[in-house]
Amino acid sequence: MSGATNGSYNFKVVLLGEGCVGKTSILLRYIEDKFNDKHLTTLQATFLNKKININGKRINLSIWDTAGQEKFHALGPIYYRNSNGAILVYDITDEDSFGKVKNWVKELKKMLGSDIVLVIAGNKVDLEHERTVPLEEAESYANMVGAKHFYTSAKLNQGVEDLFLELTREMTERHDRNAQADVSRTSRVLVVEDEAPAPSSCCSGAKHN
Amino acid sequence: MDGAYDEIISDNPFFVELKNEYTNLFQHCISQSWVVCVPRIGSLTTRVFTVEDFCAHILVPSDELPETNYSTLTEKQVTVSNKVIILEVTKELPLQSHILFEETFYTEDFLKYKVWCIESPLEPTRNVGDNTITKEYLTSINDCIDLLWTQAAGRQVLDQIEQSVQVFLKKQPSLPIAIGPLKDAVSELYTQCLQYALQNRRLREKSKACKQILENIKIAVECYMQQILFDALFKPICTCCSYEDSHLNKKIRNMCDIQLRDLDIKKELYHAVPKAKQILSKIDSYNTVLEKVLCLKQALNAINKKDSSNNVVLLTADDLLPVFVFLVIKSGLPNWYSQLTYMKEFRFSGVGRSDGDESAFLITTLEAVIEHIQSGALAGPPDPESYYYESNLTEENLNNRQRKNSLTESISTSDTNSRDETLEYIFELVKANHTEQIQTILLRNQRHLESIHANDNNMLKITLESDLLNDYDEDDDSGSDTEIYQKLCHPLCNCKKCCSKISKNLLRTSPTVNSRDSHGLTPLHVACIHGKAAIVEILIEMRAEIDATDLNECTALHYAASRGHQNALLLLLHSGAHINQANIDKNTPLHLAVNNGHLNCVKALIYFAEHSRKMIMINSANESGNTPLHLASKWGYEGIARLLIENGAEPSLQNRYNKTAFDYAHNLKILQVLKSVTPNLYEYIHITTSDVKVLNYRNDKNLTFKLQKMTLRYQDNNPSKAVENLKLIDRILKAISYGDVKLACFYMNINYADYVDDSNQLKDSSCHPLCECKMCKKKTESCTEFDVNFSDSNGFTALHYASRYGLDELCNILILNKANVNCSNKKGQTPLHLAALNNKTGVIRVLLDNGANINAVDITGNTPLHDASDMGNIGAAKILISYGPNMTMLNGSEKTALKIAKERVHLTIIDLIEKHANNS
Ligand SMILES: Nc1nc2c(ncn2[C@@H]2O[C@H](COP(=O)(O)OP(=O)(O)O)[C@@H](O)[C@H]2O)c(=O)[nH]1
Ligand SMILES: [Mg+2]
Repeated sequence: MSGATNGSYNFKVVLLGEGCVGKTSILLRYIEDKFNDKHLTTLQATFLNKKININGKRINLSIWDTAGQEKFHALGPIYYRNSNGAILVYDITDEDSFGKVKNWVKELKKMLGSDIVLVIAGNKVDLEHERTVPLEEAESYANMVGAKHFYTSAKLNQGVEDLFLELTREMTERHDRNAQADVSRTSRVLVVEDEAPAPSSCCSGAKHN
Repeated sequence: MDGAYDEIISDNPFFVELKNEYTNLFQHCISQSWVVCVPRIGSLTTRVFTVEDFCAHILVPSDELPETNYSTLTEKQVTVSNKVIILEVTKELPLQSHILFEETFYTEDFLKYKVWCIESPLEPTRNVGDNTITKEYLTSINDCIDLLWTQAAGRQVLDQIEQSVQVFLKKQPSLPIAIGPLKDAVSELYTQCLQYALQNRRLREKSKACKQILENIKIAVECYMQQILFDALFKPICTCCSYEDSHLNKKIRNMCDIQLRDLDIKKELYHAVPKAKQILSKIDSYNTVLEKVLCLKQALNAINKKDSSNNVVLLTADDLLPVFVFLVIKSGLPNWYSQLTYMKEFRFSGVGRSDGDESAFLITTLEAVIEHIQSGALAGPPDPESYYYESNLTEENLNNRQRKNSLTESISTSDTNSRDETLEYIFELVKANHTEQIQTILLRNQRHLESIHANDNNMLKITLESDLLNDYDEDDDSGSDTEIYQKLCHPLCNCKKCCSKISKNLLRTSPTVNSRDSHGLTPLHVACIHGKAAIVEILIEMRAEIDATDLNECTALHYAASRGHQNALLLLLHSGAHINQANIDKNTPLHLAVNNGHLNCVKALIYFAEHSRKMIMINSANESGNTPLHLASKWGYEGIARLLIENGAEPSLQNRYNKTAFDYAHNLKILQVLKSVTPNLYEYIHITTSDVKVLNYRNDKNLTFKLQKMTLRYQDNNPSKAVENLKLIDRILKAISYGDVKLACFYMNINYADYVDDSNQLKDSSCHPLCECKMCKKKTESCTEFDVNFSDSNGFTALHYASRYGLDELCNILILNKANVNCSNKKGQTPLHLAALNNKTGVIRVLLDNGANINAVDITGNTPLHDASDMGNIGAAKILISYGPNMTMLNGSEKTALKIAKERVHLTIIDLIEKHANNS
């Protein structure tokens, strides 16, 4: 897994959810602060980077958008493996999309266990009057599976930044916890940048296998 | 991208001083959400900053255009576009600086501000000098070499890496054929190379000073190592992946006709696809992972381009996958899986930074694409006959669409409405496997047509037309019908347009078994495309034209072969379909079956040819000069390649690009097959007896039975003695041609062991042919009852074959078993002729010692010496001459052997003959 090199954290985050729930819109709102806008600096919204610094901790988020169509569902594992976090998006006006989130949660828990931080986003809250997914149900479900739940609107820019911030905090925390456990367990010497021409790659390479 | 610029802002002296020494300014800035620009550390020429310096780097968004227009606290106007800051400077040129990255800071008291790390300070007065940033990205192997060379001020690091690789290769001349060990070995080598690089003082110091440089050095070292190692490394990788690659290729080949619209790709992206495809198909020309990943990136960027009307089309994940699927299918590359494995497993420098970086994303995308193709989630190839509907739909849309709907309905209700009996309808029936309906309609139409024929032969055309007009009174079409021939380029023209005009006209008429649509497809074609064997059978029964060709000059057999429908293919073959028919690209059915990886059809074609004693042109070349073996080799179909080789495919033939099947072999397994030109014959024989049998047709028991009968005829337990005998002869001769003396002897009932024991005596036997010593007697006694003088249909005997292939030992054995040394084949050639033609000196000696006629003439009047001279076979000529042939003999063209040698300028042979002539 990726982690902190040179005091920076590198996290991979995947956006999962049914088609048309607003994954791409959320991503573009977060990175470019725009919605349905033709004037973007990026030409693609499949993979985007964001550097943030929370109280002196540098974090590089690599955010991967995924295709929502059912025919690509089977490719999920290829995309979400080695992820530190996943954002599961549903549309509050579409019950099916919430059902899809539940499936994703099940799958992710099975495949990645607690290695991955999950957050659930109920998008399109600007359409509150059309809501079909009951508020309590969504929140209690999220609670049950240990995921934070957020209400977002990519359109009105509500909750999007909070969502990413909270996810990042959680990932950093979990990473630090794991690293500590790692050190105490294996008393592995952390590679110090200066005096170690022997590249970090050999250790990280081994981690990869 | 890997190697994108990065630095720790909170360590940057400019930022540190602003934050610590100008706290009020800084806090104000944060609270107002102004943007702080920080020049990258390497661009700072001083560590002494004034308050103006800071003010010049704080950007206040304008009210009207907060995203693109700013002013600095020093009241200068700034615009930002495309990640470039442009500062308006009076009198001078505007000053520019790239935004290298943006970092969003969150403070403990929940404030948020943005910092832009910029390439150079935003100050017009100060000269930045030549302290330009070291290349942000390494984009090629040349960049890497450049970096290692210039940063280390010399080529010693490069030399050291090269040396390490050479030592590595010497230590393990053949790399392991398993990804795990391979990866471990190369990873170790990389570590070693990197150590060498960082032992260099300059590199060490520079990389300590700048993290960026360290990252780039890692990449450069990896790249240079891969560049040198590539040839030795990639073949083993391909070999590990040969199974996956060949399966992927089969999938891809079978849908290579796929169109963009079949994949639900946004129309706005269509225009960019050709360029992207061109870029992506070059991926195999790069040796390093860095460049291969870059190639993926460039392909992605090509798709991202503005569309024809200059609008930016945002590429989303939903589009990216299908477009890449399309590109991979169309790229024509035979080893995608190996490429992927190389990129995925042999990228050491990027690992540890992040699993989520852009390279990882691109590689993952490729993996997803391959997985998607592999999974078969994509529909198969589009049906060629569907084009017909589409061209119609665009032209006369609504009418036809309605008709199509009614068609499907009428199928389900079995309601045959004569108005709907178009060819189109027949095709639908074929696809739906409605045997009886097809039969009824076609037969009725046939009879109808015949009656017209009988009634009025002369007026056929007119009658037909008017008759049809009466039958199907299409309202106002009467005019167009009579005019149709005037609309053509020429009454006999058969260009595509005219064909479609005519066929559209004809489509309104009732279809018969041999009707064609605008693409020249007959019902038989369609039945073969969809593998409807039962329908193929009734169409054949109704005397459908077996070898009818469509616009691509493809016969039904071509389609059956390319779609892998073995049952249909066998039915066609047994009904006399032309097995070697070439289509417009000069592809034979064998080519197509091989190209699409249909082993079952390849087997059926070859065994059918073998059993029915038809010649299949196993080495025929298509338009590009490719033989079936080229294709099997290129796509990595090991089983097919082996089968072709066993049946006489020649791996050394060149195509039009001067490439042989060897050149196309991407992995060691295929290479091994190609090299095994003398195969294991036991296995071969084993296959021939059993393999044309995979006929598990479901619905029609009757058909299965028939097919089985047909197949049985060609199997071993056939009662006919003559056939049995022919087969045996075939086997014997084949065994000889493969050099398998033991097997040949076994077939001929000769106890090979008897001869092996005495093989020494046999070889340098000083016994005279007529010798009656004990040894020789024993040999003659153990003679087989089998008549070794049998011959195949061309008059070749076993001795001919043994001579042709230079099997001295077998020649001896055959002669001891009363083989006739002077029997001639249909061309009048004796075994000696064949030995001379093929320069088999050992055999020549054996034959001549056993009474072969040295002056035997074939039907063209050539003696063995003529042949040897013609071919320039010096060894053969020498021995022949030493046996004193008549060198004055003239062949059919009135030439002596000497004359032929002179014509061919075989100097040594001229010399030999002249010398001998002088001596005698
Ligand atoms: N009203 C509303 N519409 C949204 C919101 N987010 C996305 N959409 C719309 O939902 C549709 C699908 O969004 P998209 O981002 O492409 O969804 P994706 O398929 O999950 O990536 C688009 O038409 C968006 O404009 C939102 O927060 N509110
Ligand atoms: Mg999307």
